[in-house]
Amino acid sequence: MATKTTKREPQVELRKLTDDYCEFVLKGTDVSMANALRRIILVEVPTIAIELVEFEANTTVLNDEFLAHRLGLIPLVSTRVHDMKSIYEAQVGAWVARRRRHYIHPVGYHDREDKGILLVKMRRNQELKLRAVARKGTGKDHAKWMPVATCVYQFMPEITINHALMDTLTDDQKEEWCAADPRKTFRLNKLTHRVEVTNPELYQYDGEVLAKAEEMGKPGLVAIKQKQDTFIFRVEGTGVLPPQDIVLTACEVLASKIRNLDAALAEEARRFDGREEPAPMQA
Amino acid sequence: MQGTAGYGAPAPTGPVQVAYICGDCGAENTLKPGDVIRCRECGYRILYKKRTKRVVQYEARW
Repeated sequence: MATKTTKREPQVELRKLTDDYCEFVLKGTDVSMANALRRIILVEVPTIAIELVEFEANTTVLNDEFLAHRLGLIPLVSTRVHDMKSIYEAQVGAWVARRRRHYIHPVGYHDREDKGILLVKMRRNQELKLRAVARKGTGKDHAKWMPVATCVYQFMPEITINHALMDTLTDDQKEEWCAADPRKTFRLNKLTHRVEVTNPELYQYDGEVLAKAEEMGKPGLVAIKQKQDTFIFRVEGTGVLPPQDIVLTACEVLASKIRNLDAALAEEARRFDGREEPAPMQA
Repeated sequence: MQGTAGYGAPAPTGPVQVAYICGDCGAENTLKPGDVIRCRECGYRILYKKRTKRVVQYEARW
């Protein structure tokens, strides 16, 4: 198959944005871009998580390794991560007091009133004393640094109904066919007696309607393709970073990768030009 | 690197005395090499070694 050399003119349409969820449509680009963005969001957006735990005393029912692992998995609010030059950076007291929202704390735990995440239940006289060190990292290193719960994209379906063939069916048959789709993508319009698409995005590429058409002896009732240049992104954050922050950081990571590649190629071309003298022309 | 504290301690001079915790009554027992492994308080024969006083460091990952 010949690849289309269409110019990339990406467009973004933001649909929904909350504290931990973001839904947007990426248009005018191709799968390589969409997938690169998805993969970077998953494992290359830096966050902060506990990495080292030093135990002085532990007489709880959970052993040291177990507790260390649990501590590592606590999501920490990582808005400060962008200011961090190195992976370890001491928390500056005055800085914390001034900009409280950037203070590194577990998600959903702001003061002693909050319940927080249960780590271990302790009985009377049990002892636990430890020091934990958090650092900047990415999901590539360990899943605890992943900024999202999920990040997925969906191809926009392109649905074409063969109305000529559809009209050979009775209304009851049309309704039966519509009912075959588990997501109710299709609907029979009672006035025009035509089958309509309610919302193309509902379609989950399960092929149920295609099988149904086959079963009814009418293959080709509908043609469903995946639009290769439209992607519906759904990003579910963990509260570690705001979702718009995650997506924008991912774009910046991707851009810097491209800049690095560009610079490396330019350097290589310069090196190559200097070494390889063009061969003298033979008369 | 992980949790190996407690080994390789320099050998002290004289009879080595090590404190243990009884598995039954929890009493502390000090034993020397060659001693019968038996709690002085209740006679229970399972004794546990105490946790190291050193800090142990772990990586918070699996």
